[in-house]
Amino acid sequence: MGKKVWEIMNPKIEIISADASVYYAIERLIDKRIRSLLVLPRDEKDDYGVVTVRNIVFKVLAKNKDPHTVKIGEICSKPLITVSKDTPVEELLELMERNNIARIFVREKNKIIGVVSFFDIMHHILIERAKK
Amino acid sequence: MLEKILKGGKLEKKIIANIKNYLNILYSAMECLKNVFITKDIERAHCIDNLEREADLLRREIVSTIYEGAFLPYIRPNISTFIEIVEKAFDALKTCAFEFRYLNKEFFEKIKDEVIKIAEINLEMCEILIKAFQCLIEENNLRERNLAIRICEKKIDEIKQDLTQKIRQREIVNFWEGKNISEFIEALVKISDLIEDASDYLYILDISLR
Repeated sequence: MGKKVWEIMNPKIEIISADASVYYAIERLIDKRIRSLLVLPRDEKDDYGVVTVRNIVFKVLAKNKDPHTVKIGEICSKPLITVSKDTPVEELLELMERNNIARIFVREKNKIIGVVSFFDIMHHILIERAKK
Repeated sequence: MLEKILKGGKLEKKIIANIKNYLNILYSAMECLKNVFITKDIERAHCIDNLEREADLLRREIVSTIYEGAFLPYIRPNISTFIEIVEKAFDALKTCAFEFRYLNKEFFEKIKDEVIKIAEINLEMCEILIKAFQCLIEENNLRERNLAIRICEKKIDEIKQDLTQKIRQREIVNFWEGKNISEFIEALVKISDLIEDASDYLYILDISLR
């Protein structure tokens, strides 16, 4: 493949506060037609997290918990698995397979600058195949 | 069969070679436009005019050779239409380069990343279009190329949305400045639309010849 993560990543990231309600996250996911939100750290010592549709379904809705009262910070996945923008796409793919995750965030210094999902990788592979 | 229909005689071979050249010139013009954006060197934009003139000569030659009797009559209009779509991409490139000369450079700095990204994807699409044409001739997998071009076009649509949001934040105080920005962006994103149309046309041509 030969490309680096920054060449295929999506720089548009939807964020949410750890104190927001799960219901608010559901509204955002539906409105934006996305499957995950980046959860902001509560303070300087805290790290980023991610909340996905999977978290919401298994940890809240399937357990009949009230999405209006459960906070994002209680159900989000932490720590976030991140890569640097210069990581080769092959390495990223291995990391996704090893950790069984559908997206990886891209970190520069201590800031999240993008995200790569399976869709981005599929697009990348199809484009590279078409160029051959 | 397809190869026989398309590559039959002398005239057909001449047209195919000219179309390949025509598409290669499009690629060079797109590369030139990308470099103009990166270097912000307005003088370099003239290379697009030169390449467009060269392509125009080639287009006339292709069309006249077609009607000299190359290809079966029912294929001729299809090939002419394909060439006309690519010609529109040249027009969009030319407009884009022309408008860039008058674009406020301070404003360009704010949209530079998105503009260069679009120019890169346009170039990638053109590279795939060249492969797609080769696939048509060789009866290869044109469908995969067509899909890749659609993926690229979707990416450009997404960038266009971000770009529009940024542009709307700018207060336009002068009619000509507004017209210039609008026409620049319009032409830039139109290139990918036209490449997608050209690729779709090749795909239809491929299916109709089976």
